[in-house]
Amino acid sequence: MTIFQYVARRLAFIVPQLLGIVAVSFFLVSLIPGDPAVLMLGPLASQDSIAKLHASLGLNQPLAIRFLHYVWRLLHGDLGTSWQTQRPVLLDLLQRAPATIELVTYSLLVAIAVGIPLGVYTAVRTQGIPSKIATMYGSVAGTIPDFWLGLVFIFIFYNRLHAVPAPTGRLDLAIPPPPTITGFYTIDGLLTGDWTALGSALAHLALPALTLGLINAGPIFAMTRSTVSRMLDSNFAAYAQLSGLPRSLIIMRAFRNAFPSIVTVISVLYGFLIGGAVLIEFVFSWGGAGQYAVQGVLNADIDPVLGFVLFSAIFSLVIYLAVDLIYFALDPRVRR
Amino acid sequence: MSDVRLRVENLHSYYFAHYGTVRALRGVDLTLEAGSVLGVVGESGSGKTTLARSIMGLLPPPGRIVDGRILFGGRDLRTLTPQEWQALRGRDIAMIVPNPRGELDPLLPVGEQLVAVIRAHTDKGHREARDLALGMLRAVQIPDPERRFRAYPHELSGGMAQRVVIAIALSCSPHIVISDDATSGLDVTVQAQILSLLDDLVRQQASSMIFITRDLGVVAHVSDRVAIMYAGEIVEMAKTTEFFDHPAHPYSMMLLSAFTHDHALRARWTKEGDSPDLVRLPQGCPYASRCVRAQPRCQAERVPAVEVAPGHFVRCLYPL
Repeated sequence: MTIFQYVARRLAFIVPQLLGIVAVSFFLVSLIPGDPAVLMLGPLASQDSIAKLHASLGLNQPLAIRFLHYVWRLLHGDLGTSWQTQRPVLLDLLQRAPATIELVTYSLLVAIAVGIPLGVYTAVRTQGIPSKIATMYGSVAGTIPDFWLGLVFIFIFYNRLHAVPAPTGRLDLAIPPPPTITGFYTIDGLLTGDWTALGSALAHLALPALTLGLINAGPIFAMTRSTVSRMLDSNFAAYAQLSGLPRSLIIMRAFRNAFPSIVTVISVLYGFLIGGAVLIEFVFSWGGAGQYAVQGVLNADIDPVLGFVLFSAIFSLVIYLAVDLIYFALDPRVRR
Repeated sequence: MSDVRLRVENLHSYYFAHYGTVRALRGVDLTLEAGSVLGVVGESGSGKTTLARSIMGLLPPPGRIVDGRILFGGRDLRTLTPQEWQALRGRDIAMIVPNPRGELDPLLPVGEQLVAVIRAHTDKGHREARDLALGMLRAVQIPDPERRFRAYPHELSGGMAQRVVIAIALSCSPHIVISDDATSGLDVTVQAQILSLLDDLVRQQASSMIFITRDLGVVAHVSDRVAIMYAGEIVEMAKTTEFFDHPAHPYSMMLLSAFTHDHALRARWTKEGDSPDLVRLPQGCPYASRCVRAQPRCQAERVPAVEVAPGHFVRCLYPL
């Protein structure tokens, strides 16, 4: 099988997958209690004006018809409008999604930089104090709430040490964002040579990315340790040792064989964090897509919620496709 | 032929399992002469693989050599440092493993695995190592070696993978090759090809070989001397011709009779019974419970090895 056939086959599955996700999320979201018309018009509105607004929003139609309308609009690139921001959901998401993706990506890089070396180290050296400490960290990382750790970091690094700027968004208030190319402030700052914006963006990213990174290094660490140690116990590692290959080479081979599993857990975390970073977005007033969706849920603002679900679904599918390509490149057995 | 390559003296290897100590090797003595092939035969659990792994210094935990010496090149291998072991394995003593498709790295082309071993033990550059690797693949008669060089383990048949592992073992012209049940998973014709190939290559390189198998028939073809193992001991050892002409141990007779079509002969040497539990070994001869010649004395005393003919040792109180 060539790589093109492989990708084509995967892409063919994406459309039905997305349609299924839209359907499930549409009907689930419709179960959320709360009437947007009541929330929009306020507690003093008359029954009459509420009914009118229902009609103009299409809320008086049966659920199935509303679903078909929604899909029809989706196919024309219309994700609906948020009654809170009074803007098209698509525009809101285009503005906020890069904030979340940027935060999550840097967090994941921190998590990888911490989790993989620790995992390999403890798999190779199962005994000893450093391994014990790493193991302890691994089990603690899974249990600490991220928003709590974020607050602790803010207290230490902002309130006490003044090492980072105030946790209020992605940039200092006085600094204008760099010209938009990708929407990621660090990349745009780099591309346009806007060093002030770049520096400020990095300084604002430091704490939330560190918080999410240290928490989410836990599963990467655990997966790395267990798969690398399983590979080190496997037949091919024993045979390599019988053949007199150096230990460092055997560890490298074990890591390579463990890598697909590690990539899998990283990709799952990536997709999960798009929504899972929302508490950190709140703590650091990040203005990301997760925050937008939660505001939508709380205020019966349905279109932003559906838009966010669709966005994170597409994001996850893209990540999984990338992961499949990585498997394809790494493992000759997949290519059959 | 009197130049001794490897001498194993009084080797004891035990597995310290949670349910007790498995005494897998108990006082094994053997010598391997330069350019000769020693066939080691025994049923599963007799200690063949433990013997191979002990010589390679890689007993899987909780196994450990508890006593004895393994003399090679004027040194006791038990005193080697990990670095010395790493240099020695694959270069001086190489092992051929069974089920090689499961032993090779699934993500690397087999040629690269061959190159890695060559480069670990020589100062050859990648190009030279590659040339040697291709030469080795040709020597083990792999058709189209350039293509097979790039093949992954899962793309090879069992016989091809076995040839690759033989090529890896012989690539550094080791003094000693230990073949552990290397042909067991293969069908008979492939097995025969590989055996004669292995025999040729070992003799060409003037290496010595320890050929471990469950199959007495194979041993008759390839080995100069035969050692029969039972329950962690060598119960009989002799030149191959001497062994097949004058087998002396009742267990050897049982193995040999299994090859005949003569039911009466087979029945005469076979007695129902269990192999001994290596954790709770009997005081006397471990074969006594299955032995057709066993006497009360056999249960009571430990049986020493006696030389019944020059170079023919038997561990039996009532040898044939």
